[in-house]
Amino acid sequence: MQTRIEAADQRFGWMLSAPGLMLLGAVIGFPIAWALFTSLFDYTLIMPSYDNFVGLDNYVTALGDKEFGHAAWVTLTFVAAIVVVEFSIGFLVALMLNSTERGRGIYYIILLCPLLMNPVVVGLIWRMLLHPTLGIVNYLLGLVGLGPVNWLGDPTNAFITVVLVDVWHQVSFMIVLLLAGLSALPREPYEAARVEGASTLQSFWHITLPLMRPVIVVTLLIRVIFAIKTYDIIYIMTRGGPGDATDLISYFIYRRAFVGLNLGEACALAGLLLAVIVAMTAYLHRVMRKV
Amino acid sequence: MRIKPATLLRHGILIAFSAAILLPLLWVLRVSLTDKLTAYKIPPEIGHLSFDNFIEVFTRFDFSLWFANSFGIALATTAISLPAATMMAYAAARYRTGGAPLLVTVLASQMLPPIVLVLPLFLLVTTMVPIGGRAAITLAHVAVNLPFMAWMMVSFFEGETKQLEEAARAEGATRWQAFRLITVPVAMPGILAAGLLGFILSWNEFLYALILSTSKSQTLSVGLASMETQAGVNIAPLAAATLLGLAPVLILLPFLQKYLIKGLSLGALK
Amino acid sequence: MIKLLKPLCAALVSTTALASFAHAETLTILMEAVPDTEYVQALVPEFEKETGIDLEIEVVNYAEMHTKLVPQLVAREGSYSLIVVDFYWVGEFFKAGWMMPLDDYIAKDGFDVSPYVPAMMDLVGAIDGTTYMLPFYNYAMGMLYRTDLLEDEANKSAFKEATGMDLKVPETWDEYLKQVAFFTKGDMKGVVNQGLRPDPIAMEWSNYLFANGGEYMDDTWTSTLTSDAAVKALDDYKTNIDKYGPVGAASFSFDEAFNVFAQGGAYSYITYNFFRAAADDPSSSQVVGKTGIAPVPGVEPGKTGSLNGAWGWAIPKSSPNPDLAWQFLKWVESKDVAVKRALQGGSPTRTDVFDDPAVLEKYPHMADLKALLLGSHNFPTFTYTPQFVEVLGRELSLAVTGDKSSADALAAAAEEFNELAEKDGLKK
Repeated sequence: MQTRIEAADQRFGWMLSAPGLMLLGAVIGFPIAWALFTSLFDYTLIMPSYDNFVGLDNYVTALGDKEFGHAAWVTLTFVAAIVVVEFSIGFLVALMLNSTERGRGIYYIILLCPLLMNPVVVGLIWRMLLHPTLGIVNYLLGLVGLGPVNWLGDPTNAFITVVLVDVWHQVSFMIVLLLAGLSALPREPYEAARVEGASTLQSFWHITLPLMRPVIVVTLLIRVIFAIKTYDIIYIMTRGGPGDATDLISYFIYRRAFVGLNLGEACALAGLLLAVIVAMTAYLHRVMRKV
Repeated sequence: MRIKPATLLRHGILIAFSAAILLPLLWVLRVSLTDKLTAYKIPPEIGHLSFDNFIEVFTRFDFSLWFANSFGIALATTAISLPAATMMAYAAARYRTGGAPLLVTVLASQMLPPIVLVLPLFLLVTTMVPIGGRAAITLAHVAVNLPFMAWMMVSFFEGETKQLEEAARAEGATRWQAFRLITVPVAMPGILAAGLLGFILSWNEFLYALILSTSKSQTLSVGLASMETQAGVNIAPLAAATLLGLAPVLILLPFLQKYLIKGLSLGALK
Repeated sequence: MIKLLKPLCAALVSTTALASFAHAETLTILMEAVPDTEYVQALVPEFEKETGIDLEIEVVNYAEMHTKLVPQLVAREGSYSLIVVDFYWVGEFFKAGWMMPLDDYIAKDGFDVSPYVPAMMDLVGAIDGTTYMLPFYNYAMGMLYRTDLLEDEANKSAFKEATGMDLKVPETWDEYLKQVAFFTKGDMKGVVNQGLRPDPIAMEWSNYLFANGGEYMDDTWTSTLTSDAAVKALDDYKTNIDKYGPVGAASFSFDEAFNVFAQGGAYSYITYNFFRAAADDPSSSQVVGKTGIAPVPGVEPGKTGSLNGAWGWAIPKSSPNPDLAWQFLKWVESKDVAVKRALQGGSPTRTDVFDDPAVLEKYPHMADLKALLLGSHNFPTFTYTPQFVEVLGRELSLAVTGDKSSADALAAAAEEFNELAEKDGLKK
């Protein structure tokens, strides 16, 4: 039985959620419904019509597409690589920043700089820095007897290069969130631990990590979703090449939609992606709740 | 004065990290002061330095318009989505409104690649609700940012703040008052971090801005991309524009200073 | 919180109030960021003064242009009065019915299309006898080379000794390849390539294909990419990148490749002809006055391997004001204005502009460019050209990285070409 207070709580909760939900529904509800609906038709931009219902054919085609499978695999490794690297660096820096008073403002401003550059610019600038014969990076490496490194012209190198550039660009995203989480932690547990003679490492392991778990999970989740949608930096730096070494799903879908103009299939690909991420989110959400 | 080894290590790491971020930007600064020929000379030459590129950015390119558009749109996006997201996150954390399914659905709306959403959205804002460039871009950005911002904040409303709130409620505060006067100030670091990241997401967003913009409402991200032409990248003006594009850090500084940088924590409040 | 939000809300209100709406007397044009667009922009005030029409040119990056255009064209009423169309979108735009026929306008105003280079009208003008576009500028590809290296006496004798041939602007593909090998010494490379997927590599390699006497297809729209000539063209391409080109050329876009050439790092670069003017720009080039451009040499003297390319002006069916658009179009494509564009450095599409004495006097290499344009080959244009360029770019890149052999990559590209041609109903 729901008490009156609980009912009032519920009402209040919905009231607070209403503006956000209405905004979302109004702006993005129709496009999402449209995309999912379109995925069931043979719908191309050259002949846009809903005359040809094909059911799940587009999904079947997508699942059987070897190029799509390859892109999915590349995306998986890409996402894993950037999230792991960015989280490791990001958490370390956030911890250091959290316990630093002096110079904190300056560090904070510096780390915001890459975030304020848009991916297109980041890509163009790194292409300049990493130019194999005319770039400053290979020149400096040459001074110490290394290189020249073929940053983007070799499949393996290109993948690593794109990951590193993305880390440079986005690592601060994690720092900002994790730092906010850290600075919202209560002080008492640490003081109690100090009284009991716990080492820094012990308090990190037994206090910081458990308390930070919800923030960490959300940070990782959001970063993963953004990483899956990565497209600009690939577009500018490699166009999926050389060969097909950096062909990410989002770039693949982009080509289906706006080069192939086959929107039905592009929507089906997007729908598959949606299913995977929703399942992952629901799972992580449960993990997060179990704290 | 003796410096503790731990402090030294901390600053060592932070300085190394800052250097990794700043060194490439330093080279960008150098390029912004020369021309393309000098920028690609190896071994590097300092050459003749001038501020021509910074002037060209305003004369040959429409930097001031791009910047004003991006800044206005990002601010407006944040102003609309931050309160809405804060309330949504709070409702989800405290009252479990809609439960996990609602939260996951809200985030799911952002999981489709924008490329398949942009066409229906374009049709929506041009035919059904005809609104012009900047307003349309702002709305699209709100829809993109809201779910992320709400998710970022949920965890900041859990735990500690609950007891404070209950105390206030016991003293006769309404639910709204408890939220506004107790929870929001306590969760400020989280709210501002979400706001800052929301601002940045909008500032950098490219695809919606590209499709929905008109020549009057081109944003910085679209404008800067047009500096890469089929006849080569205008790398020197681009470098200058990139540096000028970092200005929001300084503009936002006063807002960040109090909560984010100084790190006002829950402990300090009590 | 409220204190914080107030300035934000104020900003919001002003943003919304500023939201702009298209004006009836405003002519809006979407154009690509290239030099020729800047030359048009420079002349716009003249047009505005003459007619009182407000002209707004929106410039976006090439890569984004197609993405930006498609939603506009799909919509019943878009915001662009006039657009520019790359040759390889032509088939797609035609099939989708996005462009307005211009014949009535042309007849009404007696606009003369005969001065256009015929290949230009084929590529970005008329389709099946109906005129949909007027050619805007050409970007036929040519071979940029270093005149100073060719004229150097020491090089001449060394080359003679090595190959028994005279060192001169190459007339055949084999002669060119020998020069490429000859000029590769240490940091100096014989050639720089643009191996980035998809269009840089696909467009550049097309020259290799034609230069070897290969073709994309026969008369029945069946792919001939599996021919020996095509395989040799891809082998040549790989050899040039791996042996005679700078590190990293497999991922170079135009910009990186051009910079290598402009910094004096390579003897030759097969690219769009508008880079010829850029090579003489002292703010980006060290080889000012040392660069020539010639058609890409073919299998025998007199034949060329150059790929043709061009942009056309079109009035979209979704244009809010087609009459105004035509008024601008006939002005900007009139001989006078076309000459003014060429004098700023533009790439003409009209023979009368190529032959204009003032243009020839300012740019003597205009004669080379005309020859290049007249001899160049067209890429197959059909509804699925953009898709085919994607496929071709991917397969070529896979061959360059060694993931596939030349023959396998080309067989895959040929197969997909045949499928696309069949889907388009072209195959006979």
